[in-house]
Amino acid sequence: MLFPTVTFAVFFMIVLPVSWALMTRQRGWRVWILLASYVFYAWWDWRFVFLLAASTVVNHALAVAIYRARAVGARKAMLGLAVAFDLGLLGYFKYSGFFVSSADNLIGTSWIVNITLPVGISFYTFMAISYVVDTYRRQLVPASFARFAVFQAFFPHLVAGPIVRASELLPQLESPRDPRKVDTSRAFVLILSGLFLKVVIANHLATHIVDDVFAAPNEHSSLEVLTAVYGYAVQIFADFCGYTNIAIGVALLLGFQFPQNFNSPYAAVSLQDFWRRWHMTLSRWLRDYLYIPLGGNRKGTLLTYRNLMLTMLLGGLWHGAAWTFVVWGGIHGLGLATERALGWRPTSSAARWFGRVLTFHVVCFAWIFFRADSFSRAGQVLERLFTAWGQSSPLVTTSVVLAIAVGIAGQYVRPSAVAGVVGGFQRLPALAQAGCIAVVLVAINTLGPEGVAPFIYFRF
Amino acid sequence: MRFFGTPAGRGIVLLFLGLVFAALLEAEGLRKQAEIQRQGFQRTLALDATRPLVHFSRALHLTTPRHELQEAIGRQGEDEIDTGVHLRLPPPAGPLPRHTGTHVPRKGRPIGTHGSSERRPIGTHAPPKPRFSATHPLKVWVAGDSLAEIPGQGLERVDDPAIDVLPVESRLSTGLARPDLFNWYTRFTQVISTLHPRVAVLSFGADDAHDYMAGVPAGKKVGPLGSPSWVAEYKRRVDGVTRELNAAGVYVVWLGLPIPDGPGFKKSFPIVNRILESVARAHAKTAAYVDTWHLLDDAHGRYTPYLRVHGKLTLMRLPDGIHYTGAAGDLIAAQTLKRLRAVFAFS
Repeated sequence: MLFPTVTFAVFFMIVLPVSWALMTRQRGWRVWILLASYVFYAWWDWRFVFLLAASTVVNHALAVAIYRARAVGARKAMLGLAVAFDLGLLGYFKYSGFFVSSADNLIGTSWIVNITLPVGISFYTFMAISYVVDTYRRQLVPASFARFAVFQAFFPHLVAGPIVRASELLPQLESPRDPRKVDTSRAFVLILSGLFLKVVIANHLATHIVDDVFAAPNEHSSLEVLTAVYGYAVQIFADFCGYTNIAIGVALLLGFQFPQNFNSPYAAVSLQDFWRRWHMTLSRWLRDYLYIPLGGNRKGTLLTYRNLMLTMLLGGLWHGAAWTFVVWGGIHGLGLATERALGWRPTSSAARWFGRVLTFHVVCFAWIFFRADSFSRAGQVLERLFTAWGQSSPLVTTSVVLAIAVGIAGQYVRPSAVAGVVGGFQRLPALAQAGCIAVVLVAINTLGPEGVAPFIYFRF
Repeated sequence: MRFFGTPAGRGIVLLFLGLVFAALLEAEGLRKQAEIQRQGFQRTLALDATRPLVHFSRALHLTTPRHELQEAIGRQGEDEIDTGVHLRLPPPAGPLPRHTGTHVPRKGRPIGTHGSSERRPIGTHAPPKPRFSATHPLKVWVAGDSLAEIPGQGLERVDDPAIDVLPVESRLSTGLARPDLFNWYTRFTQVISTLHPRVAVLSFGADDAHDYMAGVPAGKKVGPLGSPSWVAEYKRRVDGVTRELNAAGVYVVWLGLPIPDGPGFKKSFPIVNRILESVARAHAKTAAYVDTWHLLDDAHGRYTPYLRVHGKLTLMRLPDGIHYTGAAGDLIAAQTLKRLRAVFAFS
């Protein structure tokens, strides 16, 4: 079930009031919300609900066993088992085709695998890993089975994040949410802004320039290719930030707080700053469950660089089972290592602006590998950037340039301005608020292209 | 950010009212969405729900703001539904002709000759192929459902300045069976008169392989997919499109449906493929069929996501087991080009 559809609107209009009606009866609420989450997930493919349920059962059982075990060895072994199970699921469903075809091309095997990728598996698997690791670290007491099941399957974050920590969501599941204090104004602003980003900005750029140019770069002028590269940077931001804004807004209406996932990433003054602002819940997951366990920056300069590179390469592979994603991660890893080596920390206004422009272009350069379906296509994009100036550029239209400009300018909107919008909405009478919601919804639907394109991050 | 605490009940009412207001403003769009759903209880329910909504919305002139906005962005008429199967040429009497080798377009530019429209009896020398070059490229238009996009992009990638691929028109979930979803018949007429393609590469059928068909002539009934009446009606449409395009001098390449993963479409896709192939065969001089089913199956005739291309195991299909990867698009584009090189010359 996709957020920007009538089906989801109907689904949510049933789930929301029942959820609040059952809130004081927590057992009933948990059953209801779990059922709703499984229906939401089954809308894609009902068979994978069993996979999600299996992940819940195994991770919960092992987390409880880890918590109860006294011997360090036993705890470690069970943690290893849980992580192996989770990575095994991910490896089988997401990476087996990639590894088998890579092995085939390297050593000439001839195995062929045909496995369907369950939507959202990367997200709920990472949440499960954080749960068992935090239990192992004694940072968390395992929740009841029902609470953990809701934590993992809660539909607002289920298929594309944000990657919510157990320590963030489980305490909220311990007691009923207060029905007198729901941040509805922020929720509506988040949902409507998310819909605008996805339906108007991301879909427009995808259908009007990005898909065409990345499919056949050699057929397009340098100006079109350059615009498509900038366009993709804005598209992927609008797509993913749009989704998480909706997810956070939907959770807020249900009474739950999710962590922020984006904070104006294209206004970052360095790559390190970028990763504090882009997909923030993944960044901190990689930091806490990969970079720091690898040693972080505590084991000398060389190992710090190794850990940085490994984290970014694996982060790249998390996004997709292809070498182009690994290269994308590698570019970021190299950039981060270079910044560290140079001690790059811009302080003056000029240096910060230089940093912003440079960081944005490094990020755009890396996006080329992220978007291209092969290295040869990425090479064509790069080559075409320099070899076809002066040709006609029919895809560079006013609406495309406007969508990119809006996407970039939006990065520089101050939080106080957003708070002002939320406050202004809050002060409106109820009927005017409902009218605003309706007008914005209709405008978004009318301005967006026909049909609903799936969100990019569903693939990851 | 400041926290604004609002009672949950107010939030629910706001959301409900917001959606109701939006539904009233958007009534005609919702009506269209209901109309174009597949037959079944969901469609019936959606139609029942949107009927009074549209009446009420029109009565209060609430449809006006959306119309104004649509007009402002040049998308007026988007909510209208045209179920007509607009085929100008009358259908041939009796069953479709088998391959006679004598088909000549009725009007427009002739195909496969240098402007001569004289009839050529079987057995005489084939006329010289029309020649295209960088200065006079062959205009190729690729269109169809979601399966059209990747082969279209494959053709765009062909490094031959004598071939000019027009922007690919791939419209999700559309087809020849459902003009109510998107009326391709109207679009064909527009394309003939505005884009003037010389070749149309069409990929249809993946979203047609169902029991329901819209735009069936009055008094006629169409049975379930694969029934004689379904086959006859679908063949009438494919044949009609071929003849309309041929009449305008457009050579037609029908892309067959690929072998799917899983049992879902294993029976339905071949039904469509047989129709596409038989129509192409009946118009052998002005149409061709590209068999993607056997292009993408394995040595045992089974579905495979990977094929060996230039010695490398290459992913051909997306995880849904139907759609193509870029590599499959290139393979289909190469097969399409092979067909085109048999009819046209390039320099």
